[in-house]
Amino acid sequence: MKTRHSERPPRAAGRLPTGWNIRAGRFGAMRVLYRLQALVALAGVIVLAIVLSPRAADGSNIFLEAGNLTDILRQVAVTGIIAVAMTFVILTAGIDLSVGSILALGTSVVAIGLTRWSVPLGDVGRIALAIIAALAAGAAVGALNGAVVAGAKIQPFVVTLATMIGVRGLAKWLTDNANIDIGFGQDVAAVFAAFISRKVVVIGSLLVMAAVFWLVLDLTVFGRYVRAVGDNERAARYTGLPIARVKIWVYTLSGLLSALAGVIYAAENHQGNPNAGIAYELDAIAAVVIGGTSLMGGKGSVSGTGVGTLILGILTNVLRLNNVDSNVEMMVKAVIILLAVAVMSRRKSE
Amino acid sequence: MTTNQLLRAESISKHYDGIAALQGANFSVAKGEVHALVGENGAGKSTLARIIAGATRADGGRIFFEENEVSIASPLDAQRLGIAIIFQELDLFPHLTIAENIVIGNLKLERHAFVSRKELDRWCQPFLDQVGVADNPRTALANLPIARMQLVAIARALSLDARLILMDEPTSSLSDDSVERLFSTVNRLKQGGVSVVFVSHKLKEIFRICDTITVLRDGSTIGTRTTQSTDANEIVTMMAGRPLKDRPSVQREVSNDVLLSVSQLTTDRIQNISFSLRRGEVLGVAGLVGAGRSELGAALFGFRQLIRGEIQISGRPVRISSPRAAIGAGVGMLPEDRKLQGLMMQMSVLENSTMAVLRRYQSWGIIRRKKELAAMETVHQRTALKASSPDVPVSTLSGGNQQKVLLAKWLLMEPGVLFLDDPTRGIDVAAKADVYEIIHAAASRGMGIIFVSSELPELLQCCDRIMVLHEGRNAGILEGAQATQESIMVLATATARATGPRPYLHDGPE
Repeated sequence: MKTRHSERPPRAAGRLPTGWNIRAGRFGAMRVLYRLQALVALAGVIVLAIVLSPRAADGSNIFLEAGNLTDILRQVAVTGIIAVAMTFVILTAGIDLSVGSILALGTSVVAIGLTRWSVPLGDVGRIALAIIAALAAGAAVGALNGAVVAGAKIQPFVVTLATMIGVRGLAKWLTDNANIDIGFGQDVAAVFAAFISRKVVVIGSLLVMAAVFWLVLDLTVFGRYVRAVGDNERAARYTGLPIARVKIWVYTLSGLLSALAGVIYAAENHQGNPNAGIAYELDAIAAVVIGGTSLMGGKGSVSGTGVGTLILGILTNVLRLNNVDSNVEMMVKAVIILLAVAVMSRRKSE
Repeated sequence: MTTNQLLRAESISKHYDGIAALQGANFSVAKGEVHALVGENGAGKSTLARIIAGATRADGGRIFFEENEVSIASPLDAQRLGIAIIFQELDLFPHLTIAENIVIGNLKLERHAFVSRKELDRWCQPFLDQVGVADNPRTALANLPIARMQLVAIARALSLDARLILMDEPTSSLSDDSVERLFSTVNRLKQGGVSVVFVSHKLKEIFRICDTITVLRDGSTIGTRTTQSTDANEIVTMMAGRPLKDRPSVQREVSNDVLLSVSQLTTDRIQNISFSLRRGEVLGVAGLVGAGRSELGAALFGFRQLIRGEIQISGRPVRISSPRAAIGAGVGMLPEDRKLQGLMMQMSVLENSTMAVLRRYQSWGIIRRKKELAAMETVHQRTALKASSPDVPVSTLSGGNQQKVLLAKWLLMEPGVLFLDDPTRGIDVAAKADVYEIIHAAASRGMGIIFVSSELPELLQCCDRIMVLHEGRNAGILEGAQATQESIMVLATATARATGPRPYLHDGPE
């Protein structure tokens, strides 16, 4: 039986009339291979970890125990969340050095909110208020970073170096340079610490943030503007893109997620700590760079940052399982960073 | 083979990402000749020049220098042999002085740990004299106009005892008078026994300056001719492999509606420029470098503060304070330098094309890929863009196709007024013909186009009227019939005699 639409010209699947193969690009072999290569590196590290892992008394592999695997995710959650937002900043050819200080501000604000503010709300309300205050403080610092970078056209390195120092000072000033212990008694802070520090909440926060930022980067207008601004800011200006708005948003998100990391840090460590998060910006940048994102901007991915975060986390884990000195651990990390970047740049030039 | 031969490259091949840039290309240069290397973009001529200069390594093939087989694995190897290359994007150090730029990396001087400035100046002076640069050797390079920077690059090559100088598109960013100066330098080099290889698109210049022409197509050598024994038609046919269309095929109607009217436009570099542009009209803008052509674009596109003047679009006055405002008012701008100002090189053909109008293809901030592709499809056909897929990065395309991506970006937006700043700069003849076709088609649909160019023949071919700028002023507007190369040059230069020479102005919107 003939179909009624037999007069329509046949069209090859996945092809446009001009012969462009849609599938060749986005989901094509090259792209898949590109993605896979990062995963291959991750798989390599996992295999290495399995081989090097000590055995338990019954001969089972300690690294592969469910508890250990989720421990890794929990351990990388704080820097992982920061690194996810840092990916966006670096994609715009910027950098955010203030993330560690914003984390400290986050821990401080949430601890002050829980211990010193007496508001007539229930436990849930008081916890929510403290968290929102911390996130708002982080986002405000980030927005300030973005506004100065975009408005005064000062290099992001310098701007965020300044806020890194200033916000550290702010956190210390707010707390009188003392840790605020939380959650050791039976008060609202204990409820906060017990709930937020649960593995499922910590790991869930990381996974949700990574997924959201991944989708935003790949699917939205904003995500494409982020890459465009980083790829060629002059061309972006000639195209009429809202460059200032993009930059302010990117730094605001970085501040927001750093404060979120601070909230989690406070719950896990039972304290608001104005000295927390020192050098975390370097861990986050390392994860982003290992994930193949270029410091020159325009090129990179959230999935890459995820892989970079996991590589660093697994490495730390397996070294600690073997009781390797933590100073040696830093040296190993240094080698891994250089190796990863060397592999990435070779891949590009081939 | 004659003993007169300086360099011979045999069956050179080079692949990038599995695509052949060169396959079995042959090329030889005699001592003391000026040899043109021509071909469409993507023909492999720049790649071949880079391989000879050691900037890129070949996958296969052999190179002989004075009949001895040599291996040129790095620019240093090339320097030892006496081969130098002058890139289109000059590889100089803008913040160093002229003298420092000349001596840097010179092996002969590396023995000395310290060199006095005076000694340095004395050492550089003969080379600067040879190329005719009269500036103080201690001037920072960034203070020179681009034409003189290029001469400094040549002086550096001479200081390295270069016997073969390769020049990649040396005239693409020069005004006519600077081209003259470059040519007389090249002639002097030739008399001194230096061989020069000229990688270029501009046939007229090649026929003036070169002794021999080698044509490449699709990475292979098509043939070598002496300039006396051939003509431009033969070379063009060899380059394209097919005869070219000369003029846009359809005649277009220019309506009487005034689309854009500019009066007394004044910035710190242009004065009192007034003109109007009608719907469906192509208005050419001619002038020497520094006459204010790009500056006019900068003013219309919101890059420059207006000191005075009014811009009206469709009869309504508009205030254009930024590129965003310009786009909002319906003005598009194809900038002069597509790599620096136009394209996001790592992003795809599709992403670059839809960048200016991305908001049309989204809902709730999420890009609808199907809508984007469908929109792209129409302009893709209109621009005769060649790309294997919409998702390949624009960095992999040839210059002509990159320019088409930029044109596609504005065709998608369909602004009322489109300012094209030298849209055929550095692209091959076939792509140029396509660009003329695109301009003509866009005008036929009612767009008003301002077409800036350094090449008078293309203005004469494409434009309804031609405005000639001189020293930041409108020297006159010629109707299609009265416009000739001569009448344009008279307007572009005549007033110079009346007002006397003026210091060089660097022409560029930023």
